[in-house]
Amino acid sequence: MRVGLFVTCLVDLMRPSIGFATIKLLETAGCEVVVPAVQTCCGQPAWNAGDAAGAAALAKKTIAEFEAFDYVVVPSGSCADQIRTEYPCILSGQPGWATRAKVLAGRTFELTDFLATVLKTDRVPGRLEATVTYHDACAGLRSLGIKTQPRELLALIPGVRLKEMSGCEECCGFGGVFSVKFGEIAASIAERKCENILASGAQTVVGGDLGCLLNIEGKLRRMGHDSITVRHIAEILAGE
Amino acid sequence: MSSREDILGRVRTGVKRDSVNVLAARAAVSEALTVRGHGPKPTVGTKPGAMLACFRDRSDIHATTVDVVEREGEVPAAVARYLGELGLHKSVVAWPELLYLDWASVGLIVEGRGAQASDLVGITGCFCAIAETGTFMLCSSAGTPASVSLLPETHIAILRETDIVPYMEDAWALVRSGPGRLPRSVNFVSGPSRTGDIEQTIVIGAHGPYRVHVVIISSESARESDNRTSAVSGSAAANEKPVI
Amino acid sequence: MEIKSMYFKANASLKLADPVLQGNLKAVRGKFVEKRIEALKELDDVEATRDAATAIRRRVTDNLDVWLEHFEQNAVAAGATVLWAKDGAEVCRLVIEIARRHGVSKVVKSKSMLSEEAGLNKALEAAGIQPVETDLGEYILQIDGNEAPSHIIAPAVHKSLNQVADLFHKIHGTPRKTDISALTREARDVLRSHFLTAQMGRTGANFLVAETGSVALVTNEGNGRMVTTLPPVHVVVSGIEKVIPTLEDLATLMRLLPRSATGQSISNYLSVLTGVRMPDEQDGPDHLYVVLVDSGRADLVGSDFHEMLNCIRCGACMNHCPVYQTIGGHAYGWVYPGPMGSVLTPLYRGLDQALDLPQASTLCNQCGVVCPVRIPLPDLLRKLREKQTEQGLRSVSERFGLRLWSWLAQKPQLYSLAARFAARYLAWLAGGEDRIRVLPVFSEWSLGRDLPAPEGRTFREIHARRKKQALKDVATALRKEGR
Repeated sequence: MRVGLFVTCLVDLMRPSIGFATIKLLETAGCEVVVPAVQTCCGQPAWNAGDAAGAAALAKKTIAEFEAFDYVVVPSGSCADQIRTEYPCILSGQPGWATRAKVLAGRTFELTDFLATVLKTDRVPGRLEATVTYHDACAGLRSLGIKTQPRELLALIPGVRLKEMSGCEECCGFGGVFSVKFGEIAASIAERKCENILASGAQTVVGGDLGCLLNIEGKLRRMGHDSITVRHIAEILAGE
Repeated sequence: MSSREDILGRVRTGVKRDSVNVLAARAAVSEALTVRGHGPKPTVGTKPGAMLACFRDRSDIHATTVDVVEREGEVPAAVARYLGELGLHKSVVAWPELLYLDWASVGLIVEGRGAQASDLVGITGCFCAIAETGTFMLCSSAGTPASVSLLPETHIAILRETDIVPYMEDAWALVRSGPGRLPRSVNFVSGPSRTGDIEQTIVIGAHGPYRVHVVIISSESARESDNRTSAVSGSAAANEKPVI
Repeated sequence: MEIKSMYFKANASLKLADPVLQGNLKAVRGKFVEKRIEALKELDDVEATRDAATAIRRRVTDNLDVWLEHFEQNAVAAGATVLWAKDGAEVCRLVIEIARRHGVSKVVKSKSMLSEEAGLNKALEAAGIQPVETDLGEYILQIDGNEAPSHIIAPAVHKSLNQVADLFHKIHGTPRKTDISALTREARDVLRSHFLTAQMGRTGANFLVAETGSVALVTNEGNGRMVTTLPPVHVVVSGIEKVIPTLEDLATLMRLLPRSATGQSISNYLSVLTGVRMPDEQDGPDHLYVVLVDSGRADLVGSDFHEMLNCIRCGACMNHCPVYQTIGGHAYGWVYPGPMGSVLTPLYRGLDQALDLPQASTLCNQCGVVCPVRIPLPDLLRKLREKQTEQGLRSVSERFGLRLWSWLAQKPQLYSLAARFAARYLAWLAGGEDRIRVLPVFSEWSLGRDLPAPEGRTFREIHARRKKQALKDVATALRKEGR
């Protein structure tokens, strides 16, 4: 099966290793992975900011670049949500594009959802001895229903002990542009998330969205907690 | 243009009202008012005794105390016992329609009138009670002044087990089956008054009563069918050991 | 109420730096959330109940004109006088007229957010009529210099016990006490005399039942019953969207409203009031006025924000909102805080009056999943952001920045170049450390957090390089084999 990897602009810019970990996981599971070199951004920043025209333009571009694949896999719940849930709405007024958006939406999956639900992966390369806690990113959880999938996958690694933090489903305060427009409020929300993480006693906090992870890690370091590792689930599962 | 016309006019514009769809709208409204559909309801057992048990459980949660007596004649004694245990004032007001009970026999002086600020105990009946939430329903009328359940610190409500219905929907059906329009005030009461406005700490006793006590007259028919049930299970047990 | 939403960001900053408020917010945080979860377990099927409640509200708002006419007809038939007010000013005018007509010098009020919108207390005072708040939370705020409520259900949630103790000691002149029951008792005694001497009771309405022309009030304290039983005049001020069809619908909504608001299975009191005192009755008002208020609601009908009319004012959205939980309600600057306030304030008062409110959200949807009537709050907030963009209300730099990003993202080569530059620049800022402490661009990020350092090269360039290398390796291997 031919899988198009939508790497996301944040992973591209900040943590390429997440992209490579994703490729490794998909190839190990038997997929042929293609990375369209012309991909850029899914358009979520424009959409959330109220720039409907910009969002529509990027939606069309992404659809054109990815609709030839059997599946599109995204190591981010919020970007996957943009493609799955929002693209059909954004382009609902344009009949031809609306259909293409719906088709692509049906084939697009967040990484853990794809591995657990579509591929029904029962083995992952990663090896880790650690107590981890999982942060449920908002779009992935509430819009795409991603909750058990990452936990099932983590359970495939013998040394991983999952310790749920209180408020694991609460927003971390990233919210995309929100984090730089209302930085003080975002930092305050992040503090609460970090307090919950610390209270869980976990050595590693894992999540599926790099935006959340950068926010959480940035807050932990500012709070003076340097020893807790913050990893994307792709990295843990791939053993990077 | 009056404010009424201005407001309704803009609402009509919003729903794209025209002379055709207004007929469909009116029909839909009439249907809704006739059908009066129910929403989903949580399970409430309706077997004899089950509703009483449910009512008691729910009352416990919102701090209504409950006493069950077997006959109407035992009500004054039950009330006197409750007031005595709490060391409460003996002079009370009640709905005029409750004066027929023998209060004097238990040493209670009961006045049948609306309550004043100085009255400390109010006794009412109730129109019906709702098992789902441990609620009783008070309807205003000449003989059932609202102030009796409101002004005094202690409110005692007397009801029959047969007055307990499963849901609020059943209570409305009962009210509708009566004559004329709805009573001026229908109050559903679930426990003594409370507030959580200071540091979200719930305090019992705000402006309404501090204490709500319910005396329930259990139903003959319910008890009889209970006896029949236990007779059945008793005979099954009798097969296993000798009957004395 | 005077609007201060244009100072949202500055006020939020002050609230974040206020140790007393932060302490109070931390103490109540999660309480409503947990209680709601427990209470909902009592329902067999929460989602079906939400669906039913949503359908009830849509049934009315989709034909609001006809339902309003039905309500009015039935209310009048029961002896009420129904009046209509376009805005807050008209509400005040009508209520003062009614008060003057009946020689009212004191009004006892049960909580009403609409009266806050209209600034009714201030207007009554200016007309020489004394308004007395009787809801304990609202009373606390009234005696504290008429402070604004910070939550629609728990108006004084931002106040600590010590603050209330100081206030009562100061205003009542009684010995200072910190026992909550004793403070409540004191308030009860003070307010009781007002209940008994006021000539008018004023309430809002949780619902208006069209079937019977009734006003439904949901309360816990008993003040709602007091003000509608004792005074000879009762005035109801209600938004036009509060209509529901039948008494059965009221029962359905009552399964969700108390649970969503305070985690109670049922409120202490549900009062359903229809018309005036009957000739032989001993209590109840002789005169009942119902003032139906527009104040921005009519214009929502059929608009992109129609679903906001579903709102039953439970407060669940703000209880679950991470932004509200951290800044409290006052920063929002008007009557309604949290997610529903961020939608209603710009709609009722003008987009330009509250530009930050729809922006100050992570769109996490913790609100939408708990809304008993399924209002898609994040979608409405996003839609407001779109309206702001359409009307040119965003700053030049912001519009430029977004345009630039969208334009760049449509030009893969340029985008790639820019990303490569950015990755190197950020890595350079980190200076070999694993973090960047101060960002010169998007500097608000650095206000409370570091930014973890990037890996320094973009995924795309590494991937392209590896691909090229892999092709080279294949070519070399082929040459070695002599092909």
